[in-house]
Amino acid sequence: MDLKTLGRRLIKEPLVHFLLAGIAVFWVLSGRPPDLGERRIVVDQVVVGALAQRYYDSFHRMPSPDEIDGLIRDYVADQVYYREALRLGLDQGDEVVVRRMRRKLESMAVADAESAEPGDAELQALIDKDPAHYSTDPQTTLDQVYLGADTPQNRALADAGLAQLRQGQTVSGVPAPLPTHLDKASASDISGQFGDEFTLAIRALPLGQWQGPVASGLGLHLVRVTARDAPTRPTLAAVRQRVTNDWRAAAIQKAQGQAYADMLKGYDVVIAPVK
Amino acid sequence: MNKVLGAAALLLGATALTSCDRIKHAMRGGSASEAAIKDSAYPEKVLWGDTHLHTANSVDAFGFGNRLPPEEALRFARGEEVKSSTGVAAKLARPLDFLVVTDHSEGLGSTKALYDAPRMMISDKTLLRWYDLMHEGTKGSLQATAEILDARAHNTMPPGLNDPAKAATRTHKIWNQSLATVDDYNEPGKFTAFFGFEYTLMQGGNNLHRNVIFRDGIDKVETVDPLDPTTELWPDKLWDYMDSYEKSTGGKVLAIPHNGNLSNGLMWMMTDPKGGPITAEYARRRAAHEPVAEITQIKGDSEAHPFLSPNDEFAGFGTAGWDQNNLLNTQPTKPGDLAGSYVREALKRGMLLEQRMGVNPYKFGVIGSTDSHTSLATGDDNNYFGKHAGVEPSNHRATDTFVPGMSVERVGRMNWQSLASGYAAVWATSNTRHAIFDAMMRKEVYGTTGPRMTVRFFGGWDFTADDLKGDWVKAGYTRGVPMGGDLKPAGKAAPSFIVSALKDPVDGNLDRVQVVKGWVDKAGQAHEKVFDVVWSEMDGKRKLAGGKVPAVGDTVDTATATFQNSIGAPELSTVWTDPEFDPATRAFYYVRVLMIPTPTWIDYDMVKYKLTLDPQIPLKQQERGYTSAIWYTPG
Repeated sequence: MDLKTLGRRLIKEPLVHFLLAGIAVFWVLSGRPPDLGERRIVVDQVVVGALAQRYYDSFHRMPSPDEIDGLIRDYVADQVYYREALRLGLDQGDEVVVRRMRRKLESMAVADAESAEPGDAELQALIDKDPAHYSTDPQTTLDQVYLGADTPQNRALADAGLAQLRQGQTVSGVPAPLPTHLDKASASDISGQFGDEFTLAIRALPLGQWQGPVASGLGLHLVRVTARDAPTRPTLAAVRQRVTNDWRAAAIQKAQGQAYADMLKGYDVVIAPVK
Repeated sequence: MNKVLGAAALLLGATALTSCDRIKHAMRGGSASEAAIKDSAYPEKVLWGDTHLHTANSVDAFGFGNRLPPEEALRFARGEEVKSSTGVAAKLARPLDFLVVTDHSEGLGSTKALYDAPRMMISDKTLLRWYDLMHEGTKGSLQATAEILDARAHNTMPPGLNDPAKAATRTHKIWNQSLATVDDYNEPGKFTAFFGFEYTLMQGGNNLHRNVIFRDGIDKVETVDPLDPTTELWPDKLWDYMDSYEKSTGGKVLAIPHNGNLSNGLMWMMTDPKGGPITAEYARRRAAHEPVAEITQIKGDSEAHPFLSPNDEFAGFGTAGWDQNNLLNTQPTKPGDLAGSYVREALKRGMLLEQRMGVNPYKFGVIGSTDSHTSLATGDDNNYFGKHAGVEPSNHRATDTFVPGMSVERVGRMNWQSLASGYAAVWATSNTRHAIFDAMMRKEVYGTTGPRMTVRFFGGWDFTADDLKGDWVKAGYTRGVPMGGDLKPAGKAAPSFIVSALKDPVDGNLDRVQVVKGWVDKAGQAHEKVFDVVWSEMDGKRKLAGGKVPAVGDTVDTATATFQNSIGAPELSTVWTDPEFDPATRAFYYVRVLMIPTPTWIDYDMVKYKLTLDPQIPLKQQERGYTSAIWYTPG
C-alpha cells in the first residue's frame, strides 16, 4: 500500500477522526501551560494523507512531492498562526468565531431530533393532546343561490327568491364561477370560496330549509344546509404522516430551545442598568 | 479559557466531519396514495398554489439570510404557523392547495455548505471572504450573496463552489433529503407537494430560468438528480434531461419559464439561438416541454409592456424598474429587446412563426407564482414577506435597494419596485399531483398578481347570453373549450366566449373583464386589441363614453391602507362574440380581469411603520388576473 492510498483510506476512517479529535483535545488541554504538546507540531502520515486528500478534491490529481512539501509548509504555518492566535486570545470577541461556535452547537442539538423516529405511543399522545387538530373538519353539504352584491335592491330580491325556493320553485341567481352545490365541504374549503363570515353564518342555519339572505365576502346568498357531518375522531393510522410531521417539527424546535436553556442555566447574565 | 474554547473548536470540527455523511430521514414512510382520490368529470373548483418557491437550500436564498428548510416552507403553505428567518411568526390565513419547492439546482445547498464548513478547510481567498462576511451577520451575508451572484454573472466563481464533482455529491444528498421531506407533506385530496427544482439558465445576466416540475412519486423522481445549468446557454440540455427522465421512468415532467421581462429579449425569440430560422422540430420540442409560462411574480410582471402595447392603457403593471436592465444588471435593455421579453408579444410571435413553418413554439398557458426566497409563499399585499430574507418586514425595506447595502446602480432596482405577486390558479379534477400536472399540460390554468379571483373562460361557436341562465359550466365543457384549448374551424360567423369572473372573497371588487385578442394578418403582420367586455355599472354610471369605459374610481385611503368595496362589482359575467372575426386568420383570445384600486404592500408598510415616503413610490394599484389563451387556427 503506498502513501496515497493509505492517506485516502485513513481520511475516510471515522476512528481516525475520533483519534484526531482526541489528540487535538489532548494537545490543547493536557499539561498546560507551558506544555510540550502545544509547542509541538507533528506532521505524520495522517496529516499528510488529509492534506493530500484535500488537494485531490480540488484538483482531481494527487500532489507532486514538491507540492506536498508546500502543503506541509502551509499546514505548519496554519498551526503556528492558529495556536499563537488562540494563545493571544484572538478568538475572543471575533464575531466570525463566535457565530461559528454557536452554529455548531445549534446543529448538534437538532441532529438527533432530525433523525429520530417517534414511537406510536408518542404520536398517540400528541393526537390526544389536541384531537380537534387531527380530526376531519366538520363537513357541510349545502345548496346555495348567489344573488350578487349586498345591495338594498338585492336584499329585496332575496325575499322574493326565498319564497319561491320554499315553494319548490327554482331560482337561478346571478351567474358566477361558484358551485351551487357543495358536498361534504370542510370549513376551510367553504371559507376559501365564500369567506369566513359565511362559514360562521351557516353554522347556525336549521337543516333542510332554504334560508337567507346570508352575507359572504362575495355578496348575498340563499342557502339550504342539508347535512352536517360531525368531525370524526382521528385514528393514528389515518393521520400518521401528519402527526409525525408535527412531532418532528416540534422536536427540532424543542431540542434547540432546550439545549440553549440548559446551557443558559450555567450562566449568570447581568444586564447593567442604564445610568 | 482560551484553551478550553480551542479544544471545543477542534473537537466539534472533528465531530462535524464524522457525522457529515449521515443520511437523515432515511427510513421514512412514503406519502399517501393518490389512488384513493376520485377525479371529478370536469374541474369543479379552482386550486391555488405556488409553483416557484425557494428555501434555505437555494444558493442565494441562504446567503440573503433564509434559514428555513423545505419543511418550514411546506408547513407554512399548508397553513401552519412558522417563524420566519428574521424571527417573525407567520401564518397564511388561507392555506394553499399545492406547493412546488423549486430550489436552484445550481449549487444546491452550496452556500449553506460553505457556511457550515470548518473555516480551516477553506483555502480559496474569495470563499474565505464570503465565509467571513456571512458569519458577520445580515449585512455581511447580503454583501457576500451579491458578490456570489456577480461571480456567477461574470463566470468567476471559485472552483471550490462550482467544482462539478463536489457539487454533484452535495446536490445528490440535499436533493434526496428534500424529496423525503416533500413526500412527507404530500396529502392527496388535501395538499399537494410536488417535486421540482429551478434550472437557473443564464447568459451573462440574462434570465432564461425554468422551473421543472415532476408529475410522479418519489420512486421515479429519486432516480434522477436535478440538472445543473452552469455551463449551458440554451434550454436544449434541459429538454434532453426531461426526455431521458420520461423515457427511463415512464413518468412525466414539465418546465415553466419565468421572468421573460429580465431576459433582454432572449426568452421568446423569432430566431433560433444561432440567428437562423426556428425549425418545426425545435418549435414542437419547445411547446411540448414548456406548456406554461409564469406571467407575474415578485420580480415584475411579464404580461405586456407599454412600449409594445401603446393602445392598452393598463399595460405596464409592474414593469417599472424591471425593464431597464437584465436580471443581474449587467446589460441595459434596448427597446428592441422588449418584444422577446413579454408574454402577449410571445403569443403573437408564436402565431407568426406557425404561419411561416407550421408549428407554434410559443403556444403556452400562464400562471403566476411568488419566486419568494424566504420559504414563505406570500402573494398578498397585506401579508408580503418580501423577495428574500434581507427584505422581510422592517421599517426600512420600503426605501432599501433590492439588495440592502448595495447601491441601486449595482443592483438595478429599488425594493419598492418588487410586487407582492402572484399565485397559480389551476382548474384540476382533484387536488393531486397527477390532476394538477395534467391541468398544466392542457393549460387550463391562470395567474393572478395575488388575489384569489375565480375566472372561467370558454370558447365555442354557438354560445349565447341565454347560456348563462342555465348550467353554463357544463355547456362550456360540452359545447366549447376551456382556457388553454383550441377552437377548430366550424364554418360559423364568429366564435363566442363565456367569461365569468368572481372576486376574491376577502379582497377588492372587480373593475372590469377584458378579452385580449391577438391575430396575424395575411401580410404576416401581428396585431393586438383589448376589448372591454363587461364591467361594473356598465348600464349605469359607467356607460361607454366616446367608445371608452370610464374609470372605476378609487376608494383607497393611503393614510390607513384601506379601501371600500363601494365601487366595482363582486362578479362580472358575459357572453362575448368577437365583432372583428376573420375565419382566415390565426387568433388567440385571453382574459384579463382588473380589480378596483387597492393599497400596495408599501402602503401597508407605510401605515404600520409610520413612514414618510417619496411621492414616486406607488401606494395603490389595480391588481389583476390573466387566463391562458384560447387559440383559433384556420383550417
